[in-house]
Amino acid sequence: MKTLKNKKQHKKEGPEKINGTLRRIEQQLDQAADKSEDSSSDYDFEVVDNESLSEDEGPPSESGSEQSEPSGNEDVVSSDDDDGNHDDTRNNRKMDGGESDDSREVIEESDSSEDEVAPRNTVGSVPLEWYNDEEHIGYNLAGKKIKKKERQNKLDSFLASADDSKSWRKIYDEYNDEEVELTKGETKLIRRLLEGKAPHADFDPYQPYVDFFAWDDSKHPLSNAPEPKRRFIPSKWESKKVLQLVRAFRMGRIKFDDKPKKESNLYDVWADDSSLAERQGLAHIPAPKFKLPGHEESFNPSGEYIPSQEEINALQLIPEEDRPKFIPQRFELYRSVPAYDKAVSERFGRCLDLYLCPRARKKRINIDPETLKPKLPSRKDLKPYPTTCYLEYKGHKGPVVSVTAESTGQWIASGSNDGSVRVWEVETGRCLRVWDIGEPVQQVVWNPLPELPLLAIAAGQDVFILNTGLGSEEEQKKIEELLHIETPTAPDDSDKNASLISWGPDEKHGGIRLKHFKTVSSLEWHRKGDYLSTLMPHDILPPTLKSVLIHQLSKKLTQRIPYKLRGLPVSSAFHPIRSIFFISTKKDVRVYDLLKQKLLKKLEPGVREVSSIAIHPGGDNVIVGSKDGKLCWFDMDLSSLPYKVLKPHKKDINKVSFHRSYPLFSSCSDDCTAYVFHGKVYSDLNQNPLIVPLEILRGHASADGRGVLDCKFHPRQPWLFTAGADSIIRLYCH
Amino acid sequence: MPKHYRLPGKKKEGNAAKYMTRSQAVKYLQVSLSVFRQLCIHKGVFPREPKKKVKGNHHTYYHIKDILFLKHEPLLETLREIRVHEKKVKKAESKKNRNLAERLERHKPDYSLDRLVKERYPTFVDALRDLDDCLSMVHLFAALPAVEREHIEVDRIHKCRRLSHEWQAYISRTHKLRKTFISVKGIYYQAEVQGQIVTWLTPHALQQVLPSDVDYKIMLTFLKFYETQLELVNYKLYQSINVKYPPILDPRLEALAADLYGLTRYLDASARASLVESIDVRPSGSDQNEEQQEGTKLEEPELRLAQLQHNLSSSEPGSLMRLVDDVREEDEDDEETKECRNFFKGMKFFLSREVPRESLLFVIPAFGGMISWEGEGAPFPESDSSITHQIVDRPTQKRMFLSREYVQPQWIYDCINFRVILPTDEYLVGRVAPPHLSPFVDNEEEGHVPEYAETIKRLQAAARKEVLPLPGAGEDDLGDPQNLQGIIDRAEEIEAAEKKRKMAILQKQYLDELKMELESCQYHDHSDTSKLKDAEGPDAEDSLPNLKQIAEDAENMSKVLISRKKRKLLEAMEIGKDRKKAHIKLLKERKKKIDEAEKSG
Repeated sequence: MKTLKNKKQHKKEGPEKINGTLRRIEQQLDQAADKSEDSSSDYDFEVVDNESLSEDEGPPSESGSEQSEPSGNEDVVSSDDDDGNHDDTRNNRKMDGGESDDSREVIEESDSSEDEVAPRNTVGSVPLEWYNDEEHIGYNLAGKKIKKKERQNKLDSFLASADDSKSWRKIYDEYNDEEVELTKGETKLIRRLLEGKAPHADFDPYQPYVDFFAWDDSKHPLSNAPEPKRRFIPSKWESKKVLQLVRAFRMGRIKFDDKPKKESNLYDVWADDSSLAERQGLAHIPAPKFKLPGHEESFNPSGEYIPSQEEINALQLIPEEDRPKFIPQRFELYRSVPAYDKAVSERFGRCLDLYLCPRARKKRINIDPETLKPKLPSRKDLKPYPTTCYLEYKGHKGPVVSVTAESTGQWIASGSNDGSVRVWEVETGRCLRVWDIGEPVQQVVWNPLPELPLLAIAAGQDVFILNTGLGSEEEQKKIEELLHIETPTAPDDSDKNASLISWGPDEKHGGIRLKHFKTVSSLEWHRKGDYLSTLMPHDILPPTLKSVLIHQLSKKLTQRIPYKLRGLPVSSAFHPIRSIFFISTKKDVRVYDLLKQKLLKKLEPGVREVSSIAIHPGGDNVIVGSKDGKLCWFDMDLSSLPYKVLKPHKKDINKVSFHRSYPLFSSCSDDCTAYVFHGKVYSDLNQNPLIVPLEILRGHASADGRGVLDCKFHPRQPWLFTAGADSIIRLYCH
Repeated sequence: MPKHYRLPGKKKEGNAAKYMTRSQAVKYLQVSLSVFRQLCIHKGVFPREPKKKVKGNHHTYYHIKDILFLKHEPLLETLREIRVHEKKVKKAESKKNRNLAERLERHKPDYSLDRLVKERYPTFVDALRDLDDCLSMVHLFAALPAVEREHIEVDRIHKCRRLSHEWQAYISRTHKLRKTFISVKGIYYQAEVQGQIVTWLTPHALQQVLPSDVDYKIMLTFLKFYETQLELVNYKLYQSINVKYPPILDPRLEALAADLYGLTRYLDASARASLVESIDVRPSGSDQNEEQQEGTKLEEPELRLAQLQHNLSSSEPGSLMRLVDDVREEDEDDEETKECRNFFKGMKFFLSREVPRESLLFVIPAFGGMISWEGEGAPFPESDSSITHQIVDRPTQKRMFLSREYVQPQWIYDCINFRVILPTDEYLVGRVAPPHLSPFVDNEEEGHVPEYAETIKRLQAAARKEVLPLPGAGEDDLGDPQNLQGIIDRAEEIEAAEKKRKMAILQKQYLDELKMELESCQYHDHSDTSKLKDAEGPDAEDSLPNLKQIAEDAENMSKVLISRKKRKLLEAMEIGKDRKKAHIKLLKERKKKIDEAEKSG
């Protein structure tokens, strides 16, 4: 029965590591020490017994070797064990041989000591987990499998251990799959080992040394060399070293106060805080203070400061350097605010700024933007000027390219891309007359003389000079005489101009028709109404001489301007008083004296492309409109550079014009606006012209990307006619 | 230019002679770049921006006078000595002479920067003016862990802690704190010391992250200077309130990590001691201390009087002077300081465990409140019945006293910022607190006023009106929610009336404009013969855009004549304005959305 119980205990133990067992043994030993008095007394007795035994044996003699001594002791102990715990050992043996009777017999035969018993399991020192899944744990000497024992119920094993007073002595031998009960001697051995002592109690590690070689009575020493001298005299190098150290001590190079004490050297630095104290060195520029946080930096900002998820996602698209560094967040509780992960980095950035950023005093402009704008006289004082749309003249089918006012101011004429020229009554908006030219009209110009109500029309390659039939009968007669032309004009002019220009009557409309060899872009009457200049900008023909022509109406003659032009002519104008002629090319404006036949001046507006020019009625000021929306005012007396450059329009300026009597000028552009400016020229030469923008006139609609194509002032009133690409002419009055 | 400013073979005048690049400077001073950096940091020398960059755009330029200023600095020699010393140590170590190396290590040459502080800040006010970065840095390091790898030593961290606490104790004691702001980045404080506004940022009292892309050597160099500066400033400030510096702290409180509280007590004690030499500073006991605190306030004037008499009789000029100073100082306190001192007067606060203690321990006494906390060394326990407010940050409380209010910590900060004891209803535990607004923002200038700011403004106005007739009872009444409701109602009424008036003005304006418009139309009708007869209908509709158009035209026309340079400037200004406007618009839109969501949901 007892063996059965033991077997059960075995199963409970299960596989355990050897370390574990050792520790457990130790614990058990400790428990046992206070638990079972009888056993401890037993133990004590044993110890005494052992000592007495060793005393009995006496001090080890020289002849007796040390190795042999413990073994002798062991023998004694083991024999003692045999006496004391005979039953236990037998029991043990029984367990050992629990598996087969043969092995037990073998063990019993070699009874003397356990060391001699060969392990039953013959697998050798292989890891035991290899057998974890097997039924057996190894092989015996006969080569048969050693079966594993049944596992014992834990509860049972616990009960058994509680019952068994000797359970603390039992350890599980994993290798042989059995439980071994330790003998008292063995427990003692283990206890000593755990304490770090020699395993056997009577082993003395501090024995007096006994030389293995007896020197005294030997005749020859091992070495017969004489003692060297250095053994008797003090070392030179040592003394040098000592001297060095002593000197170092004396000189104070080496100090013995281990840590030099840090005396607090606090004092009032600013004790003499006089106002005289000033910073030395170069003028100091203090670093700007860091920016104070706004609402969005709060741990609990109001809702409007927190970006939505889409906005945060949108931020990801921004390149990293432009992205805002801080995205507001909201935390319900102060407790839940985490440590700011960029705290150190930001402070470091500030440090870098402080010592690496170049500092310079920057004047911070803290001005009202209004002060930047020039002080202009009130517009009310500069009245009258056109402000509101008063009339619209409708009738044209295409964009109205050109509009012109008769010198009395009663009529206007307009030409359109649809090939028609119309004459309107200004006051009523009645269309008086319509000519169908057939070709898109480029320009229409009234003769400046009131007694000669002629209309010059440029359309395609022709220039028509038509009688409008206005004026009195006498005037009509005069006009008819003037316009009368013999049909064979061509043979009259046998010179080379004949091939270029032909004067001829216009049968269809009843006027003169000047046939040009190229498209005429622009027309201009001389103030006396006799001369007419035409421009034919063209790249292909040699632009040297022939692009600008001047026709004389009374003599029916054509002259060319004998000057060289660089670039395409864009617009031309006669000086209102003197015989001076202005031609503008795309780049610049050239001023010629017609009498002396030489170049007077070259005006350089410095704009991309000049589109039109207009001359002040005084004759000393010129305005130039350009295709980049700029308007240049030239004062001829001042310089060849513009006196003022204005940029009123966003798109091309199509036309600029001066009023004949009022100090007004205007510009019209493709952005569907026309600007009216006040442009006062003083008779005092020291005073510069005064330019004030007065009004922006709107109303025209855009058509094909074009806006207002032409603008002309009424000759007497401060009114402005504008011709738009939306085929409407508008009259703006004050 | 004097001759000695010119390096041999260099230009005599102009930018080439005045400025040198950094590498030139380093070569000229014969130091390594790191030593140069240290020198620059300690001396406060910074690069300049020459008008013409002779060596190219990608260089850093220093003024030659600055470099000469560095050259004559004795610190340069010390830094060289340190370098030599380091070499010695290295040599000893590589020769395995550990003894020597250790001995050398012990006697490392060190330098103090007090002279440089004086040089950079000749007057005390200068030093105070430039204290922002110093305080922020010291407070940051006080919260950092000591890291061996980065040479952040424990001693430095402790010193930073000490200095920051000393500074806070001074500010708290003299009631100089003006504004606080809890941001995500930390807590901002603003104080006014000797007329100088000092703002600093303290990190949240949590474990800080040490990023690896930071050069801690540079930060430590800065810290070295800042430590000295703050120490000297603290010394001066403590001297000004007649307290011995450095203060000796109660070791028990120090051990409990309640340094700040310890310091405040020390300050109180020493102020009393200096005021009344005859009275001994009684040993610190938590219960007695409280009584004394209350007691001294009453006793002070009498004691002073007594002492004054005593002094007069002995006619000791020095002490009398000091006494007069003391009295004057009390009187000299400006209105704001007085207000701050009495802001939380008569209130007793108790901090729960989860509340950030350090910040509140600093803030509440600065505004005259009494404070205690959960834990050892606290002046009074939680069960004290005279506690008026308990500050908690946990939704559930295990035991609630009916006699006190349980508020979130944000309440304290908001009250302080707006100088109004706000009603506690919204800040009760478990409620979503109203938004915490920055006190540093001028809402009007910003263009967008958060809703809560308006509420607070109303409350402030109400408080002012309330307090005037009843100065004694004002505060208590304000605490009463019912009364407050009345105040709010009244304020709202006032606002409504204002709105109505504005509306009336607008309406009138609109009518006038309409009339004008009609008149002009009539004019058109009389004159226009052809087309504009039917224009009345659309014209009336167009009237508003027309006005806009006119304004725009006027704007355009004025721009036509501006010179290009000014126009560009104007445009740049407008861009800035537009950006600001867009930001405000965005805020308003978001606000609208939120309101709508609230209404619907």
